Amino acid sequence: MQGLEAYWGRRALDFVDAIEASTTTACVVSQFEKMIGDLGFHAYIMAGIPTPGESLAQLTIANGWPAEWFEMYNRENFCAVDPVPRHCFNTLNPFEWKDAPYDHEHDVAAHNVMTRARDFRFYEGFCVPIHYDESTGAISIAGERPYLDAETKSALHLMSVFTHSRLRALTRPAPVMPGRRLTEIEAEVLRWAARGKTAWETGQILGISERNVRWHLEETQRKLMTNNKTATVAVAIVNREILI
Amino acid sequence: MFAARLSANQAVIPMPEIHVVQRDNRHLYENYFEPYFRLRHDIYVKQRKWMALDRPDGLEKDQFDTEDAVYLFCLDGGQLIGAMRALPTLQPTLMSDIFPYLNIRGPIRRRDVFELSRIFVIPERRGEHAGPRIEMLLLTAITEYGISIGLTGFSIVLESWWLPRFERIGWKARPLGMPQTIDGMSVLAVLVDCDETTWKSLCNQIGLRRPTLTWRGLADVNRQALPDISVPVPPTAQPAR
Repeated sequence: MQGLEAYWGRRALDFVDAIEASTTTACVVSQFEKMIGDLGFHAYIMAGIPTPGESLAQLTIANGWPAEWFEMYNRENFCAVDPVPRHCFNTLNPFEWKDAPYDHEHDVAAHNVMTRARDFRFYEGFCVPIHYDESTGAISIAGERPYLDAETKSALHLMSVFTHSRLRALTRPAPVMPGRRLTEIEAEVLRWAARGKTAWETGQILGISERNVRWHLEETQRKLMTNNKTATVAVAIVNREILI
Repeated sequence: MFAARLSANQAVIPMPEIHVVQRDNRHLYENYFEPYFRLRHDIYVKQRKWMALDRPDGLEKDQFDTEDAVYLFCLDGGQLIGAMRALPTLQPTLMSDIFPYLNIRGPIRRRDVFELSRIFVIPERRGEHAGPRIEMLLLTAITEYGISIGLTGFSIVLESWWLPRFERIGWKARPLGMPQTIDGMSVLAVLVDCDETTWKSLCNQIGLRRPTLTWRGLADVNRQALPDISVPVPPTAQPAR
C-alpha cells in the first residue's frame, strides 16, 4: 500500500516537474494525454463553466473530447443540465462522475446527458473543480474502465490542476507595460466601471468631478476604438490594460 | 497631476495596515493576541470544524505559537481583520511535525524558507470590492516581508482549491507531495517562490505603489532593500489636453 502510494506520488511529481519545464502548450498537452491514457482515460476537457450568455467553446482551455461529442454538447447546450459541471458549484474537492447527484427518475435532461455520454464510451469519469472568486471551471476526464482507486485519483488531481495551470500560464499574454495604451487614471476609471460604478460614484471615489470621469471614459473608448462603456471594459480586460 | 488624484483616492479608501509582529516588538501588540487567538478559534474550530484544535478556553493556540513565530496582523482602524503566521523551517513546523506524509520530496529545513499557516480574513471582510482584497494584501505583504529578510520561498500546507488562485495571481507553487483528504477536505504541501518579480506583480495587481508593511519597534532588524514599484508612465500615453 505504502509502496503503491509512493510510486504514484513520485510519478505525479515527476510529471509536474516535466510540464513546468515544457515551454509549449502542445508539449504539455501531449504529456497529459499520454499520462491519462496510461490510466485508462481517453477523453478530457479543461474549461470554464459557462454562465447564461457564454459559450463553452469560448471558455475552453484544452479540448480532448471527441469532436462529435463536443459539437453535440454545445449544440444541445448540455452544460446547462449536465450534473457534473453543476456539482462543481457545490464542492471544492474532486469527485467521480457517478457521485455528481441528480434525480435519476425525474431529471430527464441530466439523465439524457449521462446516457449520451455512454455512446462515447465515457463509462466512468473524474472531475476536478477549479474555483476563482468570480468564476468556476473544471477539468473533466472520462474513460471506459479507468483506474479510480484513491492513489490514482490523488495523482490525477495533482497532475490535472498543474496541467491546467501550466496551460493557462503559457497562453496568458505577459502583463507587459509597453503595450498599454491607457494612462493610469484612465485605467483606474475603467476598473471602477468594471465594478459597476457610475461616473458620479467613480468621481466621488477618486475625488474628481463626474465630468472629468466622463472625459476619461471617452478617451478610453477612443483609444480602444469601442463605442460604449461595456465594450471598453471588455476590450481593456482582454488586452490586460486593466486587471480586476 | 495624476499623483494628486491618486492620493485623493487613498484618502477616501484608507488601506488597512499590515504589521509585522515578532519576538522583539511583541510587547507592543500584547492587547491584540487574545482577540487574535479567539478569532482563530472562531474560524478554525467553530466555522471550519477542525475539532482537533478545540480548547476549553475558546482560544486556538498551538505548539507552534512560540516566540520564534512571526505574525502579520492586518489592522483596520485598530481592529484585527486578518492575519497570517510564518514559522522558520529550522524549527518544528506543521509540515515537519503534523503532516510529514504530505511532503515526499524530503524535509525542508532552510534558513531562507519560512512556513506559512493560519492565513485568514474575518468573514465580514472577505470578497470586498472597495480597495484591495485583504487576502491579496496579506499575500503581497508576506512576500515583502520575505524579500526584506532574505527569504527565497515559503512552504505551506493548504487546501488544494487554493492552487488555481495562486496560479492566477502569479504565485508559483511547486507541489511537495500528493493531495490527501483530511477531515473531508483535499489538502497538499507546496513550496512557493518568494522573489522580487512575484512581489512586483502582486503589487501591480492590487494597485500598491509603495511597500505596505509596518515595522513598529523593529528598527534593529536588518532589512534588505525592496525593488522600486512605482508605476512606469505608459509610453503611448497621450498628453493631457
